[in-house]
Amino acid sequence: MSPLARAIVAQLSARPRHFGELVEAHMDVPWRDFLRAWGEVRAAEVLSRDDAGRYLVSASPSPSPP
Amino acid sequence: MSSGFRDFLKQLEDAGELLRLPKRVDPRHVSALMAQAPQATFFEAIDGYPDWRAAGALVSTRKRLAIAMGCREDAIAARFEQGIQRPIEPRLVDRAPCQEVIWTGDDADLTRIPIPMMHVKDGGPYISATVVVSRDPDYGRNVGSYRMMYRTPRETGVDLVSSSDMRVYYQRALDQGRPLPIAVAIGTHPFELLAASYKAPIAVDEFAVAGGLHGAPVELVRCRTVDLEVPANAELVLEGELLPIGWTADEGPFGEFSHITGEVKWNPIFRVRAITHRRDPIFYVLQMPWENDWLAAPVIEAAGLQALRVASVEPVAIRAPVGGCCYWTLVASIRKRPGEGKNALLALLSVAEVKLAIVTDDDIDIYDPDDLDWAMTFRVQADRDLLVVEGARGKHIDPSVRAGALGKGGLPTTAKLGIDATIPEGVPRSHYERLRYFAKDAVRLEDYR
Repeated sequence: MSPLARAIVAQLSARPRHFGELVEAHMDVPWRDFLRAWGEVRAAEVLSRDDAGRYLVSASPSPSPP
Repeated sequence: MSSGFRDFLKQLEDAGELLRLPKRVDPRHVSALMAQAPQATFFEAIDGYPDWRAAGALVSTRKRLAIAMGCREDAIAARFEQGIQRPIEPRLVDRAPCQEVIWTGDDADLTRIPIPMMHVKDGGPYISATVVVSRDPDYGRNVGSYRMMYRTPRETGVDLVSSSDMRVYYQRALDQGRPLPIAVAIGTHPFELLAASYKAPIAVDEFAVAGGLHGAPVELVRCRTVDLEVPANAELVLEGELLPIGWTADEGPFGEFSHITGEVKWNPIFRVRAITHRRDPIFYVLQMPWENDWLAAPVIEAAGLQALRVASVEPVAIRAPVGGCCYWTLVASIRKRPGEGKNALLALLSVAEVKLAIVTDDDIDIYDPDDLDWAMTFRVQADRDLLVVEGARGKHIDPSVRAGALGKGGLPTTAKLGIDATIPEGVPRSHYERLRYFAKDAVRLEDYR
């Protein structure tokens, strides 16, 4: 995983965030680099969603329908 | 040959309805800039994407939609009806601008396209201006429009929750455990988007409907990696398949056409096999909610006209106001015979998810809010002229239906309201004679300046 993807995972492990919050936290990164890193995080299947639509990294391996 | 995306951009520019921004813009700022622009917006340089330009908010007003449709603003429903009644079969061509550049394998990478960040609470960047083509062995070709959320360089989510022909096709493929090949054309003339949004009967080819709207056949080209055809003059095409995983992948939220943020949905995944595009592509960012709303207007207004005629009521004008998202509200003026105010309401309230209908006489300008208010003030008695229908089909994204209380899989219902703002039976029309100024035609203001 790239350093940027690891940083995103760390942010989502700390607390749930909207995708827009993650984007805002990395505005200094070129958009394409951010999208690639997000793709890495997606591919790692570590993401879940909460009721507000925020992403989080939790113990369960990947998001699944309720 | 039918008009394309670039022809429409030129029409907008000629009409003073296109704002060109020469400075380099970050894709994360595209939507916010479009929201501030009074015109449609053309981005001549995209930061990090030197080969691309972008355009959006193209049909985000009735005026710009009318330019696209080549008619007056009050004639979009009639123009749409005319087109769908005279479909023209598409024509297959061998060479296409949309295949000037072809990316396959690892080169078919969605991060090479300037997919923008749109709304604060979106679940990811979205491709919004899609014309999605699929095929079923029994039903044939289908064309629809579905939002697509970026997931990885080779995958997007696709919103396939609502009932649609492609949902049927996908379910049939899923039942056989196979993927459903699809092709996604981006950057087409609004007629292709209108035809894709139109819920045509399952056996009707939406490209023939688009041809009817153009008055000329839509030129199609075969895709490179899937057995499908796409508009040859599109700016960009994604080829690939919906994976046979069912409704299992998180997708959304997204800024809905109801002007509010939706919820996370569970949807299939689209896997990209190839990306083809023009040598100098323009990425079309369909600005939510306005463009989605206005693309719905001709469809809903035409359905309202048809419903009125079926009810033997003579319509004069019809309008789906943007306050009702060009979807939930219909206002019509009619040439009324006794009782037809109510008949007209019953007809209009039968259209799709329309939950508020207002009917006036033909002397009211339904495009003038003050004139409409006047009719509702002086021609309506609340105990006689309101019609409430309880328990009709509703739509989840209307918060007032309280869909959250329904539980999993529950379908919402809604109440519908009709307002008969026609002159009440028994009241002479002369009681509504408007004020006229004495000697109005005898003097001219210019002569006294």
